Amino acid sequence: MAVTVYLPAMLRPHAGGADALTIFTPVFTLADVIIALDRKVPGLAAQLEDAVYNFAVNDEMLLHGVQAHPVRDGDRVEIVPAISGG
Amino acid sequence: MPIRDRVARLVAELPKEPQFPTQGRTLFVDLARRQTESAYTPRRIVETLLSGRGANMFYLYRLLDESLHPLHPDIPLIFGSGVLTGLVPSAARGNCTSWSPETGVILDSNVGDYFPSFLRMNGIDHLVLYGECPEWTLMLIREGRIEWHAAAPYVGLDNIDMRTRVQRDFGGVWARDMSMANITRAGENLVLTAGIMGGPKAIYARGAPGAKMGALKLKAIVTLGATKEFATAMPYKPYNREIAQKLLGTSVVKHALSVTGTPFLYKPSRLLGAMGTKNNQETTWTDGLDADHIDPYRPGMEGCFRCPVNCRPLNELTQDPGDRYGRGDGPEYVTLGKFGPNIGIERIEPVIRLNNICNDLGFDTASMGSAIAWAMELFQRGLITTADTGGLALNWGDAELVEGLLFMTAGREGFGNVLADSTRAVENGHYPAEALRYRMAVKGLMQSDPHDARILKAFALGLAVATRGMDHLRNRVTLEINAKINDDPAFKERLYGGPVSAAPNSYVDKERAVRACENMFAVGDSVGMCRFTTKLFNSPSLPGLEEFSAQIANVTGLSLSPSELDRIGLNVMGVERMINHRLGVRRKDDTLPDRWFDEPNPSGKYKGEHIDRAEFDALLSRFYSISNLTDEGVPVDSWRRELEATLAPSA
Repeated sequence: MAVTVYLPAMLRPHAGGADALTIFTPVFTLADVIIALDRKVPGLAAQLEDAVYNFAVNDEMLLHGVQAHPVRDGDRVEIVPAISGG
Repeated sequence: MPIRDRVARLVAELPKEPQFPTQGRTLFVDLARRQTESAYTPRRIVETLLSGRGANMFYLYRLLDESLHPLHPDIPLIFGSGVLTGLVPSAARGNCTSWSPETGVILDSNVGDYFPSFLRMNGIDHLVLYGECPEWTLMLIREGRIEWHAAAPYVGLDNIDMRTRVQRDFGGVWARDMSMANITRAGENLVLTAGIMGGPKAIYARGAPGAKMGALKLKAIVTLGATKEFATAMPYKPYNREIAQKLLGTSVVKHALSVTGTPFLYKPSRLLGAMGTKNNQETTWTDGLDADHIDPYRPGMEGCFRCPVNCRPLNELTQDPGDRYGRGDGPEYVTLGKFGPNIGIERIEPVIRLNNICNDLGFDTASMGSAIAWAMELFQRGLITTADTGGLALNWGDAELVEGLLFMTAGREGFGNVLADSTRAVENGHYPAEALRYRMAVKGLMQSDPHDARILKAFALGLAVATRGMDHLRNRVTLEINAKINDDPAFKERLYGGPVSAAPNSYVDKERAVRACENMFAVGDSVGMCRFTTKLFNSPSLPGLEEFSAQIANVTGLSLSPSELDRIGLNVMGVERMINHRLGVRRKDDTLPDRWFDEPNPSGKYKGEHIDRAEFDALLSRFYSISNLTDEGVPVDSWRRELEATLAPSA
């Protein structure tokens, strides 16, 4: 099992500068991914509670139902800051 | 009735003294005779519409003669700053208002930087301009007094040179004691994508205010004078500190706006399959324009008057001082979208360069980019050919071509004369009627927002009902793309005052979210707050009605509760719709481009999504109902009479 999670620049300092983290433990949903991330980088889950962070799985943005969204072996998860613009 | 008579009748009714602490004058300026009169906005108007955008609508309502045409000198151009402009962190903004020569509906455009705040420092809340200057003119406001200067030396100058020359000639320092609202060659040439520049990048952009100012032969309004302290009703600085802390403590400001600026939105939009691409024929584009690709070219950030956020990214493509467009200010997300995917450009460097050129030429990048994209699609489809374009092949992604088109448009040269007519190109005989099918515009205004709104139904409704035309800054429910809010129904219900479906592509209750945003943003414009830092646009935790209410009381002594402010937001929309009704706007105009109804979204998780006509019509009816509007989209009789009695009590 390997799920790769890509971090935006603003979160990389929390992960020792890494731009991606790979999770090898079994995960089934994005909620599991967040728990696994927090094990690798304590405190990261709290950071991800910030409303600025959205998730994309395999290049598809998730706009709702995030926690329960299924994750499979080989998936690419990306944390995407979402703000407005003008 | 001629404008002078209208003004005289109105001035006779207006108070001659301030109605509350910090209120500035309304200056009525007859440009043809170089005469001015001053008065104050009545308190009942401020309590109904506030100032800024709100009171601008009062003045337009009273002075508009819809039997004329928008560029007629008897149609006024009105500048107004908000109740809190210049006093509160991030409240640095003001509006200019008129009848749009681009759209035929209201022109109402907002700017930050320094000009709206410095107008207030000169004791002026509103500036009502009418009549045509006898020659090209520069109007200087020095310590509150008007001086007239011949603008012949400045005619033909674009923004960069204009700012250099005016600073040299008048001796002030930008951002310290000097500000300017000016037009460029595009405005002089009545180009319908021309804005009024309010800084190196800041622009009153939408609806062709630059053309309107050009028609009055007014090249620039310059303010000179030191900033001042206002005598407020009560101490306000302690609460300012709370607002500043709230701004800087909000994650979207801390992590994104202050660091990178608005281009952050490009990535979620393209991943969603909601990125308007090639005039919205496609909906996703390259990752080569993601915000992090701008990082190497961003030497720093800038900000507006007394704003702690500093969200404006500067750019530097080259250190060669001889390259006029090698550095500049921006791009914002809108410009990135309009000059990237929408015209098929894949690399960030040409997008930044085109941004810098637009800032110099004084273009509304939304209308300009859209006009070019529209032309490119027409060329792609064979609806226009090289015989129509002066031999130019309007191929997607040709940045060099686009650069040339911008300069041609500013001068109305060759095919630039067609682009200069923006959405009116069919009406003016440049394109066949079939071209309208591919025009991405509502109420004659090109879409401001790079988003393709076939997925997000709340976005779509907002674009359809916005009073100035197809523009996201009037009411966009941006938090619809925020998964955490969608996944917390109770929080979302509190945010919008009732349930709103979590599904972005659902029509259920989306009218409620648009109504809440429209009220909030109209109030924000009328107090002078920046949209980026107003609650509901970027974050649920930024300053909103509660904070505005408290600080209005501190600054002015006026007691307006959050719910009364919400009502004021509704009033502003109501008056705008009453004016639009006089200009012929009806329910049929609160709609969307055919493409979004008829063509399914071609990519992404929501592939196949489109706007269903029957569902949209029902959504629009629900929106009218909760907005207290008739089936034709104007205030219901009882409310209309109430507004009319407030706006024109002697009528």
